Amino acid sequence: MSTLPQGKLRISSEDDIVMARRAVREAATHLSFGVTDVTRIVTAASELARNVFLYAGSGVMRWSGLERNGGAGIELTFEDHGPGIADVEQAMQAGYTTGAGLGLGLPGAKRLMDEMEIRSKVGDGTTVTLRKWLRR
Amino acid sequence: MTNQSISMVRVRETLMVTMPADPDDGTVTAIQDEVLRAMERYRPKGLVLDISAVETLDSFFARTVTETSRMVALMGGRTVIAGMRPSVAITATQLGLGLGNTLTALNVDRALDLLSNALPRRQRP
Repeated sequence: MSTLPQGKLRISSEDDIVMARRAVREAATHLSFGVTDVTRIVTAASELARNVFLYAGSGVMRWSGLERNGGAGIELTFEDHGPGIADVEQAMQAGYTTGAGLGLGLPGAKRLMDEMEIRSKVGDGTTVTLRKWLRR
Repeated sequence: MTNQSISMVRVRETLMVTMPADPDDGTVTAIQDEVLRAMERYRPKGLVLDISAVETLDSFFARTVTETSRMVALMGGRTVIAGMRPSVAITATQLGLGLGNTLTALNVDRALDLLSNALPRRQRP
């Protein structure tokens, strides 16, 4: 694989959630993830893109292919300047939500991916980074 | 722009709805509206939601489908979700999604069997 896919997309409408899914599907497929992993990665992206739109109004999704010890992976970052998350641990609990959702977004996305990091400051915004590695 | 057309057909006593592969939230909500209006207009006894083309079932989509089946139940109809792909079933389970008490079937054929077996019992005077 010579060039690793990467790009960014602004999320500011419901349509952008669909665009985010398509971009991530294309990148993950290009990195040779199988259909189940592609579905996991795209679903996690859909949850987080919707969080950005619902809680912050707008934000940016970035995606990039990774290489580590000869193995490929994908990294997704969702950055917004919304209200931030007061209690990240609480937000990670299934069923907890401050909005109209099911409260599955963050904990669900973590289960679907291999790694997740959340940086959030109240009043400043939230950045969520997700990674998934290709199994050989 | 990303809005996709919805296929909805009444066959005998059943309303058959085919979900598009990658609908935006607006389309998912519109499907719920149209299904409920079609239930009133065509008075079918059952509803089959064919999701065999659906590649991504996220929490919003799953919640709307479950809600729709509950609404249809309140109106007196039965819903069967048909044709979930294996990759979607794996992902939905890991995400923590269920479909509540909604009936499911491997495909549309089985869904129709399920409805035709289930329906006569509901028609007892």
